[in-house]
Amino acid sequence: MGEATIVAENVGVKFVRSRRRNTKLRDYFVQGGKRRLKVDEFWALRNLSFTINAGEAVGIIGRNGTGKSTLLKIVAGVLIPDEGCVTTYGRVAPLLELSAGFSNDLTGRENVQLVGALHGMGRDELRDKLPEIIEYAGDQVASAIDTPVRHYSSGMRVRLGFAVIAQLTHPILLVDEVLAVGDREFRAKCYKTIEQMLSEGRTLFLVSHNENDLKRFCQRGIYINAGNLEVDGPITDALDAYNGLVHT
Amino acid sequence: MVAQLSGSPRGEEQLARAEGTLTSNIVAVWRSRAVLGLLVRRDLTVKYQQSVLGYLWSLLEPLMVAATYWFIFGFLYKSKGDLDGSPYLIYLVAGLFSWTWTSGVLSEATTALTGQARLITTIKVPRQVFPIGRVFGKFFEFLAALPVVVLIAGIFASLGEYHFTWNLLFLPVAIVIQAIFLIGVALVLSSSNVLLRDVERFIRVLNRVLLYSAPILYPFSKVEHSGMPRWLLRVYEANPLVGIAQLHHGAWLPAEFPSLIQIAVTLTECVIMFIIGWYYFRRVEPAVLKEL
Repeated sequence: MGEATIVAENVGVKFVRSRRRNTKLRDYFVQGGKRRLKVDEFWALRNLSFTINAGEAVGIIGRNGTGKSTLLKIVAGVLIPDEGCVTTYGRVAPLLELSAGFSNDLTGRENVQLVGALHGMGRDELRDKLPEIIEYAGDQVASAIDTPVRHYSSGMRVRLGFAVIAQLTHPILLVDEVLAVGDREFRAKCYKTIEQMLSEGRTLFLVSHNENDLKRFCQRGIYINAGNLEVDGPITDALDAYNGLVHT
Repeated sequence: MVAQLSGSPRGEEQLARAEGTLTSNIVAVWRSRAVLGLLVRRDLTVKYQQSVLGYLWSLLEPLMVAATYWFIFGFLYKSKGDLDGSPYLIYLVAGLFSWTWTSGVLSEATTALTGQARLITTIKVPRQVFPIGRVFGKFFEFLAALPVVVLIAGIFASLGEYHFTWNLLFLPVAIVIQAIFLIGVALVLSSSNVLLRDVERFIRVLNRVLLYSAPILYPFSKVEHSGMPRWLLRVYEANPLVGIAQLHHGAWLPAEFPSLIQIAVTLTECVIMFIIGWYYFRRVEPAVLKEL
């Protein structure tokens, strides 16, 4: 086992069900400034602690709405926990929403440069890897690389998005069900890339409902139910616990 | 070239509720200045790509506005008399272009986070980068329009009605003070608009009012000699926008240069706004990220 790469200590996040977004200024005045926020607070995650070591592939399992994606966002650093903290050792490559960060009005090439740089790629590195990225994304994208992304199909966007991330050398990979998109051929390519990344000793943090994917990549599973960590052990144990709940 | 986004040299990173101090926040943003540059460039590219006239809009828009005001206040109302004989047109454009920067930031900062929610919720970048990017984006438009002021001043100079002075060296000072202020404002506006969408509309109204709260269309001396009570004049002068406008004016027209006390007050206010902006942003950041 390698060194610890992700350490979560007592992580907790709470959401407010009656979203403050819906509270208009008018309501503040009508209620005389009294807030009724406490009414619908709930903890999406609570008291979560785990340590993930370098080179481990961990699958996160749980029903919809149990906080899996929330956990992923916290590890990715795009959500700040209300309790506890997550420490990551090494840079994180988030595969949360592949085509996020693309500007519709920019061309594919410009978007690759933008998103690549946002993920921390250097300018020279990007220039060197650009042909590889375009090639990886496939012929369809390659022929449209200089047209605005607005005209891309959703599949093409995802391909291009994945192609950029496939070139990242970050030691931690966060994957959120993105494997479900794209046609069969592209999916096979994604699998191969992820397997190759794993063989390089990177850490994988995978959220999925697909048992085959989970068994294929992960040795360890974390089963989350209603915001609590129920099982942290071999992937089969976690899956059994999950299935036990679902089937009964 | 591209700096590390964040984290210590070892790449260790803690994601907890209280994320560092004010200085470490500023350092994190400074480390992401490459990202900041990219986002600003993206915004400008998109903006200019979609229009045929492109960069010319940065000149045309303020010019047309300036021409309108000049017609009303310079021609119809003859504001010239209150300016010690210096050309009203120079006074107008110098102040108006700096105001365009401010009002542009006020209106665009509100959508800095809400407009790029998907980007912000997937890629980890110090979130302050987004509102600050709007401040810089608008600054470049201000810079792009600056040659117009130079040109107008040049025309008056060739007619013998204006002289370029060393006071122009104060222009960068005025710009820096204004930028400090606007960054603070943008940080507050962008984050509060996520929690309370009314902010966006409120700012739209406020924007119109604020134009008249500072000496931009009318000369400062008109306010001074308006016979308003002393305390009211002090209140008026306390508005940082007044100090900023007068610094810009003073750079072009030495007679308009504000007193040292006024500069000190304005600078203090702008720095306070800057600090408030950072603290506020950091405080509401967890809630903002949940809402996005």
